[in-house]
Amino acid sequence: MQTITLRLKDAVMSGIAKVPVAVDALTPDKLVGKSVEQIKAVQVWWGNSQEKAGNLFEITVEGAAASANEVKLLFEGKLNRVKYIGSGMKAGEIEARGDVDMHCGAEMEGGRVVVKGNANCWAGREMRGGELVIEGDAADNLCAMYRGEMKGMTGGKVTVYGDTGECVAQYMAGGELLIKGNVDILCGLSMSGGKITIEGNATLPGADMIGGEIIVKGKMLEMMPSFKFIETATIDGAAYKKYLGDFAMGEKKAKGTIYVR
Amino acid sequence: MTEELLIKNAVVYDPINGVRGERKDICIRDGKIVASVRNPKVIDAGGRVVMPGGVDVHAHIAGGKVNSGRLMRPEDGRKGREPKTKVCRAQSGYSVPNTFTTGYRYAKMGYTFVMEPAMPPLLARHTHEELIDTPILDNAALPLIDNNWMTFDYVKSGDIDLLAAYIAWMIKATKGYGVKIVNPGGTEAWGWGKNCDLHDPVPTFDITPADIVKALALANEKFAMPHSIHVHTNMLGHPGNFETTLATLDLVKGIKSVKNRPVLHCTHTQFHSYGGTSWKDFESKANAIANYVNNNNHVSIDIGQIILGDTTTMTADGPMEYSLYQITGRKWTNCDVELETGSGITPFLYSGKVGVHTIQWTIGQELALLIKDPWKLALTTDHPNAGPFIGYPIVISTLMSKKRRDEIAKEVSPAIYDKSSLPSIDRELDFYEVAIITRGATAKILGLQEHGKGHLGLGADADIAIYDLSPEERDAGKIQRAFLNTKYTIKGGQVVVKDGEVVAAPAGKTFFVTPECDQKLMDEMLVNLKQKFENYYSVTYNNYAVQDVYLPHPYEIKAPMVA
Repeated sequence: MQTITLRLKDAVMSGIAKVPVAVDALTPDKLVGKSVEQIKAVQVWWGNSQEKAGNLFEITVEGAAASANEVKLLFEGKLNRVKYIGSGMKAGEIEARGDVDMHCGAEMEGGRVVVKGNANCWAGREMRGGELVIEGDAADNLCAMYRGEMKGMTGGKVTVYGDTGECVAQYMAGGELLIKGNVDILCGLSMSGGKITIEGNATLPGADMIGGEIIVKGKMLEMMPSFKFIETATIDGAAYKKYLGDFAMGEKKAKGTIYVR
Repeated sequence: MTEELLIKNAVVYDPINGVRGERKDICIRDGKIVASVRNPKVIDAGGRVVMPGGVDVHAHIAGGKVNSGRLMRPEDGRKGREPKTKVCRAQSGYSVPNTFTTGYRYAKMGYTFVMEPAMPPLLARHTHEELIDTPILDNAALPLIDNNWMTFDYVKSGDIDLLAAYIAWMIKATKGYGVKIVNPGGTEAWGWGKNCDLHDPVPTFDITPADIVKALALANEKFAMPHSIHVHTNMLGHPGNFETTLATLDLVKGIKSVKNRPVLHCTHTQFHSYGGTSWKDFESKANAIANYVNNNNHVSIDIGQIILGDTTTMTADGPMEYSLYQITGRKWTNCDVELETGSGITPFLYSGKVGVHTIQWTIGQELALLIKDPWKLALTTDHPNAGPFIGYPIVISTLMSKKRRDEIAKEVSPAIYDKSSLPSIDRELDFYEVAIITRGATAKILGLQEHGKGHLGLGADADIAIYDLSPEERDAGKIQRAFLNTKYTIKGGQVVVKDGEVVAAPAGKTFFVTPECDQKLMDEMLVNLKQKFENYYSVTYNNYAVQDVYLPHPYEIKAPMVA
């Protein structure tokens, strides 16, 4: 096992304008096999210019790894302006100790990312595989598509322990999303596949849905009027009403399922 | 200060001057080709293929429609992103790249002139503003004059002289280059939820598209215009439309050209060469169109080659965009430009797995290979409608390699063997023919050869592309790569691209035509026009014309009235 610790230097965020740092170049699969000096030399974007990672982070390495699977990255310090943590990663593990900025775990293909805090918008965006765990809240567009694209999350698993924002899992086409808290409006908007489990409350989930399933274990605060009750089903021993929709997309396309208590 | 440049050991393909792969030196002084130089900087071309800068007759690169496409497709902007450099602005986009990217990518392909072929007159300022921000490329724009109520009135009254005065005024007012026609009558009919075939009446005007095309062709020839009318015929993209296309071409057959050029340019002809009665029995009729072009000298065409993959379609042909949107169900936008024109935009994916798309792909190839005289032909993808311009090198490689076409035939839908003649065509273009369809013929079709474009004769603009290719090269992959990124691109005597990198990004010139209309005729027309402004336009007559400040680097071509 190898542990690479990256502590964001206080000076980086000491200015009045908190210029974001984008760390998609710092993932286990990209850093495996590199020496400390090589890691420090990796170019990362800081605002609109590139900087050496070593100028922005205090970097220490412990142990050795034969493959990316044996590499664990620890991000420490004030991370709320650090973007793209674990973005595009293929293997290994990342732990972010604090609140993180946008696009955490975006376009992830494999490995595991754990956020010990809240995640800003677009976490797990267009995720294809691997696992993302957010121990706090997640903001808008979690597991959604990028603006204009026709597919959001297509694979992998995401767990959020807190609440989430709007338009979560928009255009989701596959994979699994578990939200232990409440979700804001329009969860699973235009969803076509995959599974969303909401343990808290939800408002208007599944609009324009043409596939996949959404289970609401808490309260359905407001239901889309364009869904049809089909039958009663049992999930984990509890009785649920099963709805089909969204009929606003036309009779033929209404293949999405919502389970409500 | 005189700046001199000498290109040594060039294997030159300069079709306008009949230079067919001759090894020679090219001398440049102050941005022009000259006979000799004294103390030049020297570039050794090392026996590589050298051509005049490319001239594109038809690519939607600037204006309201293009910008709406950018706004509508943030996902397209994700592609091709490159951070700014010391020379270049930040780049993004694939089918609807930003203006800077457009300039750099064309320059890297060795192109130095592009025609924006659809400028809604009311949005002429926007178009020129974007052209100002499109670096390196010389450019021009064709105003849409065909679905305009003034045009309709004169077509109805049969007054070709007043129509000529109107197009003269419009081309001057928009700082345009010629007459663009898009689905004549059909775009107006779209305002009533309808479309028009060639002989259908245009709602409320009691004229037909055929009347419009013929009248505008006649009016255009009242001046020594560098370019013929530029026509997107009716029924674009509809199965069976090849008959409409042939009938349109035949409409203008007897009209005499005042310059030594055709009287009608039929644009993105691929979209207009369809047989069958529905998408089920859809087939290529490229042979019928090619046959007509082979037997007649009054038309030129550009192919509008499909590039398989995702793109953004955009045209003033509003009803056609709506039909397309009905097929895909993807996003769509529509616009009406007062009494002038309209437009529609929708994204589209051309897939080799789909029979219809495969046949569409073959039609462009068939047209280019079946038309015997390349001087009647221009390479385009109707950027971005059939595909982005960045696909030109792919098209060149397939036209030059039967082997490459056969490889593609194996990968795409088997419909290619039933509904298209492409697999049976053995012809391969050579570098000379490629130079014709990308610079020689295109410059001539646009009448730009007299203004130093598209050739390397004495006095021509020193716009030169040096491709990293030996004249013997036949490998399709190498040809494609070389045409994507030049070894050198020289624009007006300045090296702008070296080894595929943009090293300088000077501003381009905007070419515009001033038709010189008889004043008495003009005054008579203005009475009618001012009435239209008063009754219908949202702007006033006095605020309409594009001011000179919108063309910081103007190049005027005067077109005297012909007696």
